[in-house]
Amino acid sequence: MVETTLHNPDAISTAEEARAIRLTRARRRSRNNIFRHIFLIICSLIMIYPLLWMVSASLKPDNEIFGTLWLWPSEFQWNNYVEGWDALVVSFSRFYMNSIIITVLSVIGNVISCSFAAYAFARLEFNGRNIWFSLMMMTLMLPYHIVLIPQYLLFLQLGWIDTYLPLVVPKFLATDAFFIFLMVQFFRQLPRELDEAAMMDGCSPFKIYWAIIMPLSIPAMATAAIFSFIWTWQDFLGPLIYLNDVKDYTVPLALRMFLSQDSVSLYGEMFAMSVLSIVPIFLFFVIFQRLIVQGIAMSGLK
Amino acid sequence: MRKFLAKNAPGYLFLSPWLLGFFFLAIGPIVTSFYLSFTKYDIATPPRFIGIEHYEYMFVWDARFWQSLKVTFAYVFMSVPGTLIFALAVAMLLDRQIRAIGTYRALFYLPSILGGSIAVAILWRQLFSNAGVINSIVELVGFEGPYWLSDPDYSLYTLVILAVWQFGSPMLIFLAGLRAIPQELYEAAEIDAAGPFRKFFAITLPMLAPVVFFNLVLQMIEAFKTFNSAFIISDGRGNPLDSLLFFTLYLYNEAFSFFRMGYASALAWVLLAIIGFFTAIAFATSKYWVHYENERG
Amino acid sequence: MAGVSLKSVNKKYGTVEAIHSIDLEVNDGEFLVLVGPSGCGKSTLLRMIAGLEEITDGTISIEDRVVNDVPASQRNLSMVFQSYALYPHMSVRKNLAFGLSNMKMPKPEIERRVADAARILQIGELMERKPRQLSGGQKQRVAIGRAIVREPQLFLFDEPLSNLDAELRVQMRVELAGLYNRLGTTMIYVTHDQVEAMTMATRIAVLSNGHLEQLGTPFELYNFPQNRFVASFIGSPKMNMLEAEAKGGAVELADFGSLPLGDGVSDGSLAVGVRPSQFLVGDEGDVHASGKITLVEYLGSEMFIHVQLASGRVMMVQAPGHSVYKLGDEIRLGISRRAAHYFDSAGLRVPLFDKQDS
Repeated sequence: MVETTLHNPDAISTAEEARAIRLTRARRRSRNNIFRHIFLIICSLIMIYPLLWMVSASLKPDNEIFGTLWLWPSEFQWNNYVEGWDALVVSFSRFYMNSIIITVLSVIGNVISCSFAAYAFARLEFNGRNIWFSLMMMTLMLPYHIVLIPQYLLFLQLGWIDTYLPLVVPKFLATDAFFIFLMVQFFRQLPRELDEAAMMDGCSPFKIYWAIIMPLSIPAMATAAIFSFIWTWQDFLGPLIYLNDVKDYTVPLALRMFLSQDSVSLYGEMFAMSVLSIVPIFLFFVIFQRLIVQGIAMSGLK
Repeated sequence: MRKFLAKNAPGYLFLSPWLLGFFFLAIGPIVTSFYLSFTKYDIATPPRFIGIEHYEYMFVWDARFWQSLKVTFAYVFMSVPGTLIFALAVAMLLDRQIRAIGTYRALFYLPSILGGSIAVAILWRQLFSNAGVINSIVELVGFEGPYWLSDPDYSLYTLVILAVWQFGSPMLIFLAGLRAIPQELYEAAEIDAAGPFRKFFAITLPMLAPVVFFNLVLQMIEAFKTFNSAFIISDGRGNPLDSLLFFTLYLYNEAFSFFRMGYASALAWVLLAIIGFFTAIAFATSKYWVHYENERG
Repeated sequence: MAGVSLKSVNKKYGTVEAIHSIDLEVNDGEFLVLVGPSGCGKSTLLRMIAGLEEITDGTISIEDRVVNDVPASQRNLSMVFQSYALYPHMSVRKNLAFGLSNMKMPKPEIERRVADAARILQIGELMERKPRQLSGGQKQRVAIGRAIVREPQLFLFDEPLSNLDAELRVQMRVELAGLYNRLGTTMIYVTHDQVEAMTMATRIAVLSNGHLEQLGTPFELYNFPQNRFVASFIGSPKMNMLEAEAKGGAVELADFGSLPLGDGVSDGSLAVGVRPSQFLVGDEGDVHASGKITLVEYLGSEMFIHVQLASGRVMMVQAPGHSVYKLGDEIRLGISRRAAHYFDSAGLRVPLFDKQDS
């Protein structure tokens, strides 16, 4: 076969042609790639420009904030951060403390309660499991607004308004079906023979959960914890409804107070505090990017 | 009996937190909400049963209800397709062996993860203010910028743009879907001399149909539930002139500004019906345009 | 050490019966192999003995103790899983010790047992590794080690060699046999590979469709299969089956002609089974037929010849490796009536010449 192609003039020309085609194609591809990169870079800049603008506005003197596209401040107003921290009736130290308490408790609650439920759904056998599971899946679709008012009335009855309980207790009751779903998916891909081996090694269901399933599910737990953190940190509607005392406010509620201030001269401070409020999320994003991306691809979490 | 207990006890023990939540924070409230929607209830006095009066008032007399529907639908029908088209286009650009893909992906996704925050809503208000960045750009091109936030004809676009800006999460799902398309299909198409358009319509889109479907349903539900940004940008009331009176915002104000709990519950049920209706349509039509591989039967 | 006794054990999934009332006595110190095609219920049966699967009906006892309601961990047995099921997040040492520490065994005793198992299986230098750092054979050893440390009365193996490549499988087979000789503990071993079954077993139980087809030594199964299923399942290549009619003490075979069998045979349909190795070439034998060679599979020490007879039927014949058969050759085959197997219309063995043979 090789010999015939070598001695056949037609074959040589086709081989050369093929090489030529391959070359032009490679050239076209690399040119395409350059265009693609240029395009993607422009898109990225447009995408993050608003965020850069916010950072820049937080460092500009008030009179430079509007009317210009230029991002670099004439002089850096670091003072915006110092003054912004105490610009409201209550210090941001307090708001951050409140947000941290609620967020940490919510993350813990979500991870424990959702992993419990997921373990039961994915690994244990009991009567009615399939019915409960489909009911759980239905709550995935349920808009929060339908339960909002009765939940409010329930917590009102319990005297929980103006406490953190309405924001935290539901997290300990596995109300975030998304996380259960995510964990069930993850648990199901762990080989069942592991549970059986552990059962033969004398493990109770709880021991299997604790000593086998949980250590092997760290990525899923981390993903749930990260999203739980991001959502709780940014939650606005819950605190808006349940917290009325400024001393109890979370960071998002506090930020809103900048808008209702009568004076308009607090722009720099407002942007400074806005930037600070998203720093924790930004850091989480940078550190845990891989887990976040996987988590979204896996389950369509927002 | 002992056997029954031994078999079921562990499962129900592990499920107990969820069961409590399910009964007290999901099913219980759903039933209560349904009942409340047929009553007049202001918290101070006990609920009074009034039958379907709320629903009647809503559909026949309540202009703000219709306005809120109009706003919400306009928003959903502009933002969802916009978001999905951007998401798919960028995902396809990124679905090649190109350098720095991780960086691009992160940059495109960043707005999604921050987008729900109050900080970004506040930022958006300022970007679209009269002397804000957007108008500076518009003037740079040579036009006169509109009053985005105070002109009812323009205000909704600020929120649509905010939604489209957050195309990152459907983009990630599209990317995962594109990765799952076997490369051999494209190679086979190449041998069959298919051009890029043909490849897109004959391979990419059909193979991606389940993912498109998934994203569509997810984005639609999310869009109907939009609240935070609408609240901040419209001063919490749907300003200007109710042009940003999102359904959720109307519901919130009825319940927690005016304490019309019964009426707000009725609104919640309408929202549920709308979301249910569109999800059902998506599912019902899906069999005509979504083909799953390895389909059984 | 302990014997295992199954009495009318039955398993239903909903209305589907996976195991049909099986009775089985496993003797103390025996190596019993459960063999059968996939889906025959052999793994289910093993898992029921292990306590991982509930039994619908009947009783299972281990050393005269009914264990129907005894949890798996208290049945005093160990199981080696097909996928090994090593805990991925624990070192080899922890994997071995995990079950023992769950039993609240004193530390020095755990260490002694783990060290013993490591010595027996020669995995001493792997003790601090994680399972993902082990090769297939090493994982297999650790899995066996995890079973050994518990010093159980009974070992259960669920297709433990099926994830290994062919060479390693042969090696592990030898090691397992050695381990059995050394420990002398009762072992129940599930496999679909009849070579494994024949080489390792004291006795073999052949299962099909949830029925116990035959229980016996490898010798009994090969030489006296009790029914057609066992006859064709045990032995490779498969036994040739000639469908025929018996009449007046003789059976009329197509191609071969009439084979007299004596008075012991009643009239009616009768299948005659001849193993490939039992065909005679040339003029030996009681009846003869000629055919044409359509395929020769040369294996070195032996060869398998496909012979097409006049009726079109193809017989599989085993011949020594040094033979010179070629494609297209004519060949004359003979059957000796004493070397053949006979099955009645129900598929059961007709014991015509068994007494004289044994």
